[in-house]
Amino acid sequence: MLELSQQAIFSGLLVGSVYALVALGIALTFGAMKIINLAHGELVLLAAYMAYFIESRTGWNPYAAIPLAFAITAVVSIAVYLLIDRIKLHRELNSLILTFAIGIILTNGILLVFASDVRSTNSPVLQDALSFHTVYAMKGELTAFVVSLAVMSALWWWLKLSWYGRAVRAVSSNRDAAMLMGIDPRRVELAAFLVAGILASVAGVALFTMSVVQPALGPALTVKAFVVTVLAGVGSIPGVFCAALLLGVTEAMTVTLASSALQELVGMVLFLLVLFFMPNGLFGARARRG
Amino acid sequence: MVVKNLPGILLALAACLIPLVYGGNGYIMGLMVSGLIVAGVALAWALLGNLGGMVSFGHAAFFGVGAYASALLSAKAGLPVPLSLLAGGAVAALSSLAMLPALRLSGPYFALAILAYAHIFKILATELSWLTGGSAGFARFPVLPTIAGIDFSSRIGSYWLLVVMVGLCLLAYRAVKASHVGTALRAMAESEDATRVVGVNATLLKAWMLLLSAFITGLFGAMNAHIINFLEPDYAFSGTWSVLPIIAAIFGGYRTILGPVAGAVAIYLFDQLVAKAILPVGHQIILGVLLAGMILIAPNGLFGLFGKKKTGAAHAAA
Repeated sequence: MLELSQQAIFSGLLVGSVYALVALGIALTFGAMKIINLAHGELVLLAAYMAYFIESRTGWNPYAAIPLAFAITAVVSIAVYLLIDRIKLHRELNSLILTFAIGIILTNGILLVFASDVRSTNSPVLQDALSFHTVYAMKGELTAFVVSLAVMSALWWWLKLSWYGRAVRAVSSNRDAAMLMGIDPRRVELAAFLVAGILASVAGVALFTMSVVQPALGPALTVKAFVVTVLAGVGSIPGVFCAALLLGVTEAMTVTLASSALQELVGMVLFLLVLFFMPNGLFGARARRG
Repeated sequence: MVVKNLPGILLALAACLIPLVYGGNGYIMGLMVSGLIVAGVALAWALLGNLGGMVSFGHAAFFGVGAYASALLSAKAGLPVPLSLLAGGAVAALSSLAMLPALRLSGPYFALAILAYAHIFKILATELSWLTGGSAGFARFPVLPTIAGIDFSSRIGSYWLLVVMVGLCLLAYRAVKASHVGTALRAMAESEDATRVVGVNATLLKAWMLLLSAFITGLFGAMNAHIINFLEPDYAFSGTWSVLPIIAAIFGGYRTILGPVAGAVAIYLFDQLVAKAILPVGHQIILGVLLAGMILIAPNGLFGLFGKKKTGAAHAAA
């Protein structure tokens, strides 16, 4: 039992890193525009299917699909931004419905192009198992973990040090003041959506290499990412990362100790508990109440 | 008075004419029955959106809970179907109590919380297989009864029952909107803080709207269960029951009372007769494009596009 638990914690940490990438994409656009992109899960899924496309057509490693995946998610992400930007009335709620509709379009588009079959990587390199004393991991999982960490570090650097990153943080904290300082919020919002597209493309490819994908997965990914942001309660990268690892480990423990069907449920229960007892999340104090 | 109620009268007339024209056509009547089910849910969704100011992506939860509650109560507890239908609505309303903590969340967070809830109920229905039959489905429960010589389980019978039910829900919606509760809710939509200051318990009012919306959705979910006479979690809690009403309400104008109902029948017929014919698989992509287009071009609904452009029409229109 102990060894099973150790294994569950280990696998949970690995998958949690990818959840963190998905959640950061949502958190970034929410920070910049106060808008939740409900199509973000589908964006990730789109990238995962690009990895499948490249692998099944050329036999290359799925990570070779990142440029193509990024090109596509960037275009879609920018299109989402431009469409949201056209909404003038009741922006907060109408943008939710709009991105929900875009999610439906993407899910069904993927269904039309790739059929409803469940896909996963066939790469022998990525499916190769490595053992560390008592725990095992596929090379795909480890690669995804390392890549996620690298992308998160890059994002941290971007937000902390680059001009655009600092502008995104400025617009997040006070849009009007940022405008007075000469920042064009629309350019910043566009940059945020573009970076969210990058995050989604890496997350999608990583997801494909370590797990299975199917067209209906999009909303579940969005909900997971949302659960992570609520758990974190704060837009900081370490906060989101810790919350995502927590979700990954909790899910993996549930699968090991109870049943795989309850995997989705436990995230929701975690989410409800935090909502009931710690409405500001585990690490933050940002107000979310209406 | 007559002119003011003209759209309603026209809609009622159309509802009476359809069985006269298509009464013999089982396929069309079947579509109309399903369209009216969607209409009931769309009405409930619009009530929550218009009066409560909340967007829900999880009405499938109430729909499924109502369906299972009514089917189980009539089959296992021997409750007569008319009572079990109401009980289905009541249980759905009860299940919405679990969502009350989410009411404190602001708009987008509430919408996502309720999306998460819908997932929970679907998983529960699959996992509690000793009660629900799990993913294998549940079929042995009574159909709608024959009362006073009218067989409500026939297509025509269930059609008329649904017309009456939708009509009653419309009247209830209008009564709530015209009451002081409706006034307070409208004020709340303008400024929640200001409304709180004058002593309106905003959260309580929102809770009532959620309860009412869940009750109506559960009621129609229960109706649908007894009409189809088969339930499985993937069907009863299908995202379709959340998506179609949203599109219907937005299409018809969710700030109006009749719009969602007319929109639901139109959208459902369009989906089944046109979209499915073009794309047998993935036909929801057309609905997605339609929804996105409506939000971008005419967020107040198609009827709003042709309606009078007077100030405040968004709230005053009925």
